Parts: sequence; C-alpha cells; structure tokens
Amino acid sequence: MPVPWEALIPFGLITAMFGVSGTLLNMSTRAQNLGKPTRYNIDNWDEMMMRRDEQLTGHKRGQRDDPVPPPGFETSSVWFTEKTA
Amino acid sequence: MSSYQPGSVETKPYVDPTPLPDGIPKVQELGVTSGPLKSAAFFIGAYCKEFNEDFMLCKAENREPGHCLKEGRKVTRCATDLITKMRENCLSQFEAHWNCLENNNQEYYLCRKPERSLNSCMFEKLGLTKTIPGTPDGQKPIHEVENPIYKAIQK
Repeated sequence: MPVPWEALIPFGLITAMFGVSGTLLNMSTRAQNLGKPTRYNIDNWDEMMMRRDEQLTGHKRGQRDDPVPPPGFETSSVWFTEKTA
Repeated sequence: MSSYQPGSVETKPYVDPTPLPDGIPKVQELGVTSGPLKSAAFFIGAYCKEFNEDFMLCKAENREPGHCLKEGRKVTRCATDLITKMRENCLSQFEAHWNCLENNNQEYYLCRKPERSLNSCMFEKLGLTKTIPGTPDGQKPIHEVENPIYKAIQK
C-alpha cells in the first residue's frame, strides 16, 4: 500500500505555522530589546534603573560602561508630575 | 461620564533643566548603566564600604533629598574611582560579565562562568573579593558552590 502522504500535509502545515509564528514573535521581541532577550520579573528597582538607562543611552535596554556620563545627564531626569489645579 | 474628562497625570514628560546652585560643590555623576553596575556591585561594596555606610547611616537620620549631599558626593567619587580602575585592569572580563548579565535578565545565577573569571581577575589585580553579607557560617556562599541546584537549563 502506498504511504498516504496527503494526510501528512496538515501536520506539516501546523508545524510550519507554529514555527513561523514563534520565530516572528522572537524576532519582534528581540528587535524591541536591541537584540537581547526581554527582561521579565521587573520590579520597581529595575524600572527605575531602566529609566536611568534611557537617560544615559536613549533606549531602555541600552548599556554603556563609560564612567563619564553624556553632557546634560545631571538635569535630564523626568519628574512624575500631576495636575492639581 | 460621556463627556471628555481631562486627566490629572501629565502626558508630556517634565524635565527641569536648572542645574544645582553654585554653592554646592560639583561632582561628576557616574555614567554607567544598570548592567555594568550590577556586575561591579559587590566590588563597589568591598571598595567603598566606609563611604556607603556613612551615607546609609546619614540617610537613616533624615530622608530629605538635601540632607546627605556631602556623603553622597563621596560615594559617587568612590564608585567612579572603582569603575575607572576596573576598566583599566579587567576590561575584557568585566565586559564579558555584564554582557552575559544583559542577555540573562540580569540574574547572577545564570552567569557564573564569566563571574568567576572576573572575580579572579579583580582579586589578582586589585585585591577585592566578592563577599555576600549574611551568608550563614559554615555554608559556602552561593557563588562559590560547585554544583548549584538553581542554574541555567543549558550548560
């Protein structure tokens, strides 16, 4: 009896679709995080440090190990404000 | 509530460009981001212990922002000094460790190999060791355990 290869087409399709969607999701998250995996379990400390990283490098995940900050760093912090009047 | 309600949180970020008043001595801030800082954290603790403790005790008295500026300047200067020394002496191991941390959610337990080479380089060149305060006596600190339970899935 010949192998029923038409029946295996759906398996192949499903595998391909899982693979494609997984790859696209991975590429999308890595592109948003400058090629690194996403940060998870982020607490308030990590959020604060990522805000500081954005001040220093322009992106939440950007890193630099130069001890000298870019000019204007001392006054570039964003203050949380609320309109009360 | 079908009419427009203006919110109270500002949509545009508020940045205040006024610098510190001239009466306060200027110190250059540390321009290192979170990854390298986490990598150097225990060495900053070993190198700058007195200044850090002074600052913490001072802040424990009064948590106003303007209170402990002098101790804060000392802390910043000490940390900047250490980072400069680390970069002079152990730049490749330092970069390897913080790049590993950045790719692993900044968790120490996933980056033990680069950490070991950084620790040995720091001990040789600068005499600083990483100690975890609060380890019970008789128990090996977690960064020295050979086969830990919590480790990376892949080798």
